[in-house]
Parts: sequence; C-alpha cells; structure tokens
Amino acid sequence: MFIRSIFFSTLAIALLGLDAASAQNLPPMGPPRLLESRESLYNNIYVYERTPYVILTFGHNKQLYTESVFNTGDDRDLEIVYTQLMTAGLMYARNVRSILEIGTGGGRTSWYLHRFLPDIRVTSVELDPVVVEMSRKYFGLRDEPNFRIEAQDGRLFLSQSKDKYDVIMIDAYRGPFVPFHLLTKEFYQIVKDHLAEGGVVVQNVASDTMLFDAAMKTIGAVLPQLEYYKNDDNYVTVAYDGAARKVEDLAAVAAERDKAYGLRYPLAAMLAMRKRVDPGDTGMISAKATVLTDDFAPVETLKNIERHNRKQP
Amino acid sequence: MTLVRSLAPAIYLIAFVSGGVLMGFEMLGSRYLFPYFGGGIGTWASLISVVLCALAIGYFAGSAIVDRDPSQRTIGAAILVAACWLALVPATADTVMQGILGQLGAGPAATLPASAALLLVPLTLLGTFSPIAVSLLTRSAHEAGRVAGRVYGVSTIGNVAGTLLTTFVLIPSIGSRNITYIFAAVLAACAALLLMTPARRQTGG
Repeated sequence: MFIRSIFFSTLAIALLGLDAASAQNLPPMGPPRLLESRESLYNNIYVYERTPYVILTFGHNKQLYTESVFNTGDDRDLEIVYTQLMTAGLMYARNVRSILEIGTGGGRTSWYLHRFLPDIRVTSVELDPVVVEMSRKYFGLRDEPNFRIEAQDGRLFLSQSKDKYDVIMIDAYRGPFVPFHLLTKEFYQIVKDHLAEGGVVVQNVASDTMLFDAAMKTIGAVLPQLEYYKNDDNYVTVAYDGAARKVEDLAAVAAERDKAYGLRYPLAAMLAMRKRVDPGDTGMISAKATVLTDDFAPVETLKNIERHNRKQP
Repeated sequence: MTLVRSLAPAIYLIAFVSGGVLMGFEMLGSRYLFPYFGGGIGTWASLISVVLCALAIGYFAGSAIVDRDPSQRTIGAAILVAACWLALVPATADTVMQGILGQLGAGPAATLPASAALLLVPLTLLGTFSPIAVSLLTRSAHEAGRVAGRVYGVSTIGNVAGTLLTTFVLIPSIGSRNITYIFAAVLAACAALLLMTPARRQTGG
C-alpha cells in the first residue's frame, strides 16, 4: 500500500526507526513486541507494538511492509507524512458531505477525517477481512453512525454501489502487489461515475517506477485535471473534472475549511507542495507510458522498470 | 504402421500446443474476471477448479469417444469448436461478466459461473484430445502405457510453456483480447492440421 516511502520500511525501519524523517520528533519508544500475527486469504499480517505506537505490517518472505502506524495515545495523529497529504482533497471538493477510502489498512486517514469531520459520512473499503478485524482490535477503529468499514474489493464495491462521494481516496497499492484492476481506465471511469458534482479523486502511487507514469497517463485520460503534492519521497495525486482550480481559490477554501473543521494538518500549508501535472509533457511523464486498460495493464512489468532521472515528478 | 508413424509428430505437436493454450487461457481468465469480481484467492480458486472440472469432463468424454469413433476428424472438430469459442470471448466477455455480476453479485456463487462461462466449454473440448490421441497412437495393448505417458508428458510441458509465456511475455506486451485471438488462431491451425492430414483407420482390435 505504501509505496516508496514505506517500501524502505522493512522490518528494521518499522521497528527500529519508524519513518526516518520524523524519527527525531517522536517520543521515546519502548522495544518492539509482536502483538499478533495472522495469515489471511490475502496477506501475512503482523501487528507490532512499540509504545506508544502500534504498527501494522504485511509480510512477504522476510520483508515486511509497514501499512499503518497508530499512536495509541492520540488517535488523530497521522504519523506518516503522505497520509496527511491524502486529506488534500478536502480543499478541492465543492461540497464535503461524503468521503470514500479504498484501501483501509490501519485506517489512519479515514479515522482522522472522521474525528475532525464527525458530521460527514466516511466509508472505507478494505479487501482483507482480517485487516478490518485488526484495525478494530488494535487501531481504534469502530463503526459509528458516520463511519463504516466494508470488507470488499474496492472496484467490486464501487460497481455495486449507487452512492456518490465528494472525495474518493485510493490507497490500495500495498507493498509489492499492485492490483491491476484498480489502475485501469475502466476503473477510473467507475470512480468518476461515483463522484458527486465537483468531486475529487486523491491517490497514492509510488513515484519510483514506470508504473507512476502509466498511472498518471491513465487517470489523466479520465479526469483531465491532475495535480500532485510532494514532500520528500511522498507523492499524493489529486484529479478532478472540469476547469483547473486556481491556487487563490484553493487557498480560500483551505483557509475556510481549516477553520471550520479545526484540522490538525492544515490544508493551507499543503498548497506549497502543490504542482500541476501535464500528462503530455514528456519531460515529466515518459513518452513511452500508455493508458492502462482492463485489456492491457502490465502492472508487474511496469513496477520493475525504474524511472529515469528526469525533472520531477 | 507407416500411417501411424506419420501422424505421431502432428499429434505430439498438437498435444504441446493445445496444452499451452489451455493453461495460457486459464491465466488470461484472471484478466477477464478480476475487473468484475476482484483479484483475490477466491477468484483464482474458481478459475482453477473450473479448469480441472473441464479437464475431468473432457477426459471422460474422450474415453467415451474412444469407444465409438476415435478419429483425428473428431478431435480436429473438437479443437475447431474450442477455437471458435475463444474467438467469441473478447467481444462478449464484458457483457457476460457484467450480467453475472448484476445477477449473482460477488463471491463463489458468481466467480464459479463466471469461470465456467469463460472456460468450461473450450477446455472440456481440449480435454478430450489426450485420451483420443493416445488411442490413435496406440497400435497394441502393451504400448498403451508408454504412449499415454508420452502424450500426457508432452501436453504438461505445453501447460508449463503456456503458463509462463502468457504471464511473462504476452500479457506484458499485448492486450488480453489480442492474446485470446492468437490462441483461437493457433487452435484453428491445430484443427486444420488434423482435418487435413489423410485419415487413417484404426488398425488395432
């Protein structure tokens, strides 16, 4: 799920250093302790405790991929930087009445949004029922009138749903496995069909392989306005239909919603990390990148091709 | 005797190629099903069990055919029908999958029928090949075991080749629909080879 920033979060990082960038700000931590390990239909799941944190990892051979970090003393803490950026969609959506997350993991982003926007309907969809169980057992998630977790494939959930959402967040590209059917034009078309008027799609895609270029091309083929937020190695892309938003309009909405919701990670501060993506700019997106479709989506191959050093992204 | 010998290379070639298409199409099945039913182990279990069911039915049907009319014409026709089925898949799969999703929802109650709709008919037809091929190549009872072992061995090597080629070469380079058309064309060529090779009467018995 967590792509590059988390890709290096193998067991050692997860347990010994957490995120290198934020390590110095952390309170003193206790030794790591395995709370529970489970083998589910989809993952080998290990939940570690390192006081005050609980860490969700998925195992893949001897490599563990950190999926979620939960501060047990503060359920509104977003320890991993990109999960803060995942909230950027709030300053784009015309209205904020309902939010969907595809790929719950430990549920930090969706729970953060639920805590700060208690009147907004938040739905989070997670493929793995055991991950859902762990998120309830160790990560403080619980069903509340405006907070719901569904254990289902994200695309299947959307294609069977008639609901529309103002913000749809996609964070389902875990560790080494990329579900191709969540990266195709047909998938994004289904996502778009479930956007309310003026809605926005926010997603986290690794930026270090050709999969990033293909993903940008593909989402750009469905939603013409494409932007990204970058902090160190964390990328979060924002896509929407209609005319491009002006930075001053975004700033005005950000200021208003920061105040209205009392957000801990202010939207206004994220604007400095904003950049527009032009999928036609071959300096930015490889000319070789093609739109992925249900028919042709070689995601495993693309994920194995490192991006050449070009101008960012 | 000479007729048997001249037919043997074609039979072994087709055992290899149709074995490759069989497993290649199973791998492709995942590309047709995942967008509708999700990419979990449940979808794979459905695909694999339908493939094995198809083979079981094909083997039984093949052994029944061996008792009646085990000719190269029969297996040629079976392979040709399988080729036609594959040729129809790219244009119709989305409608069928959408229909099953709409009617039956998700889970095994939907992924099993979806796998069956895609794979059952063509793979059952391909499954009839091996027993009939063994019958055509066997001249006397004492060599039946040796022939059967060779046919199944060659066919299984074809399975391996088809799995690897489809997964690591074809899916990353051309689309699933085009791969399906290629498989249909390859099967049609196999059928043509069987139907156009001079027919022979069973010499045994």
